[in-house]
Amino acid sequence: MKIAMIGWEYPPFKAGGLATHCYGLTNSLADKNIKVYFFMPKTKHKAGSNKANLKVIEVGETEIFPYDRPDDKAIGGKFFEAVHRYNDLVVARVKAIAKKEGKFDAIHAHDWLTMEAATTLKQDLGIPLILTIHSTEYDRSGWVYPNQWFIDIERAGMQKADRIIAVSSYTKNIIVEKYGIHPDKVSVVHNAVYPIPEGQKQDLVLFLGRLTIQKGAEFFLKSAKKVLDFEPDTRFVIAGTGDMLPRLIHDAVDMGISDRVIFTGRLTDDEVKHIYSISSVYVMPSVSEPFGITALEAISAGTPTIVSKTTGFSEAFKNCLKVDFWDTDEMANKIISLLRYDPLSRTLSHEGKREINLFTWDRVADRTIEVYNGVI
Amino acid sequence: MYFEVHQPMRLNHFSVFNIGNNTSHPSYYFNDKLNREIFEKVAHKCYLPTNKLLLNLINKHDGKFRISYSLTGTFFEYCENYMPEVLDSFKELFKTGAVDFIEETYYHSLSSLYDELDEFEEQVKMHNNMIKKVFNYRPRVFRNTEAIYDNRIAKKVAEMGYKGILTEGTDKILGWRSPNYLYKPVSANIKVLMRNYMLSDDVGFRFSARQWPGYPLTADKYANWLASCQGDIINLFIDYETFGEHQWTETGIFDFLFHLPEEVLKHHHLDFVTVSEAVERYNTVDEIDVPWAISWADADRDVSTWLGNDMQKACFNELQNIGRKVKDNGDKDFINTWRRLQTSDHLYYVSTKGLEDGDVHKYFSHYDNPYDGFINYMNILQDLKQKIV
Repeated sequence: MKIAMIGWEYPPFKAGGLATHCYGLTNSLADKNIKVYFFMPKTKHKAGSNKANLKVIEVGETEIFPYDRPDDKAIGGKFFEAVHRYNDLVVARVKAIAKKEGKFDAIHAHDWLTMEAATTLKQDLGIPLILTIHSTEYDRSGWVYPNQWFIDIERAGMQKADRIIAVSSYTKNIIVEKYGIHPDKVSVVHNAVYPIPEGQKQDLVLFLGRLTIQKGAEFFLKSAKKVLDFEPDTRFVIAGTGDMLPRLIHDAVDMGISDRVIFTGRLTDDEVKHIYSISSVYVMPSVSEPFGITALEAISAGTPTIVSKTTGFSEAFKNCLKVDFWDTDEMANKIISLLRYDPLSRTLSHEGKREINLFTWDRVADRTIEVYNGVI
Repeated sequence: MYFEVHQPMRLNHFSVFNIGNNTSHPSYYFNDKLNREIFEKVAHKCYLPTNKLLLNLINKHDGKFRISYSLTGTFFEYCENYMPEVLDSFKELFKTGAVDFIEETYYHSLSSLYDELDEFEEQVKMHNNMIKKVFNYRPRVFRNTEAIYDNRIAKKVAEMGYKGILTEGTDKILGWRSPNYLYKPVSANIKVLMRNYMLSDDVGFRFSARQWPGYPLTADKYANWLASCQGDIINLFIDYETFGEHQWTETGIFDFLFHLPEEVLKHHHLDFVTVSEAVERYNTVDEIDVPWAISWADADRDVSTWLGNDMQKACFNELQNIGRKVKDNGDKDFINTWRRLQTSDHLYYVSTKGLEDGDVHKYFSHYDNPYDGFINYMNILQDLKQKIV
């Protein structure tokens, strides 16, 4: 079986879970004797593969990230053009390789950025299209003023796809309810993780993610204030960057807790692993999260984790604490309980690491192959 | 046949911010609204219809159909506070003479596992006084919380004057031996009734399981199984909520129960006895040695259901520590609250046992998961500890 997979990010370059997923999936597929050509934009960091079955092919260059918003950057009005241009390049490149090296059995694309290219290729090459949805415009906007331009692209892609893989039932529901797709066309495949080693734990409560409305960092900060009223020695880390960073720093100063909250900015991969490994509590307070691989990463490093109920992760994982993202009292209650009650932390850490063993890329690849077999 | 009838006093949401807050009276720990709702629901689905059916069956068969109950103290308090008619229906049953009652700890607690057994003894006496007051009866047979049993408990119960004690007929104790006889503990002089878990669970767990080869279970089929058993006595110990609550009316559980006595009595070598009659009628055939506690809970049949993880052990130790403070303090309200918090269900909700058993645990729990159960329960224990000076 030979798959043309169209992605956007891939380690070492990554901005979110999409890269992690594509890396794990393509490597495990290659191990299962599936030939994968992975197409992605050229970046400063050279991406590649040492597996015979997996070829990483860089196409052109782009300034756009999957999580960008049209009004985000200096690219401004050129945003839409840039998307079209990259998609055209991908179409040409996939066709060229198909001509030179033989036909692909299917196209597999991820999220909105490359949906245009994917649907064009499906039509022109006459092969099935599989689409994985890692996030929708509703998630990225935190359900506040979702942008119709993205929604239209997403809907067109979903309608034309032969099968859709959603990273959770939570996301499948959105695909069915908001995009009007028939539920039988959507399979749910939960994400996986390469475990991170556990380190020497410190009294440190961690948030890690893009500082955008979707990720709910402001609720983390409000909880931090409530925790510090009772446990004044606790330290909080907000790792990551995004458009909300200035406001969050301002709020921390306003609340009088800026000495207890560390803003790290963007961390390298090694720094991310280190901060997971030494944290005592990880909080993922997302307003809307299709899955939430970071929770898997934290738990794999033995860190007890609190997640919001509006996440795909929360439906998939048992050994974690669950809160409503807006309920900062309950979030603080759970953070303090984890800091005070050692048996709670120990049990969550232990049982969590056991459950993590179920979340392998090997399983994700198996489930993805089932989906391929259904349409090829 | 013996039925366990119990309701715990479920807890309110209690966060760390409530700890040490002097405006919260300990009675606030308990979620009266939820408890009342659940009690009334179960009363209408199970207690009242099942009591009525069993009363009719006893009358229909001239007292040849005979049963035993254990009612916990917390259940009794619910009846008194919310629905006295439930208690009246038990009194009606008792008046037939075909019903007796079994002793246990008033609070359905784990006090039998404490370092000292004085609290256990007090709770048993409280239960004894309750049964005496309500039914003018003094039980002679004892059944510990969820059939928890070991040599030490057997010895204590024998010393307190009971003639018999019930526990689980688990293979790890009996080995090749049959549960259908009475046994004697190595540690004491008392008769042990061993629950026949296969036949009991056929009704309690498997009755409506379509993938089970015995499905559908009819009264005549079940009576035939009973008739083909070897031994003196078949101990069928069943959670009362099996009837109408765990197995809904639609499963046919009430029809099964309705036909059971006549189908059993068709076999001339079978009859029904209460537990106190059983220990009068039969002698022990062998000794059993139980150094580590067993129970009828989960697949493990031990106490790991309540003390299986670090969180449960921490709560259990905290309960014991608070006990010493509470008794030194002597305040009746505190003692009562502390005892209500000892009900084993509070620790059951904190169990993290996976898969098969975990599903059963989730069915019975009002928490999202065991971790929430722990946080809530531990917060309340911390508050109580702070209030006692």
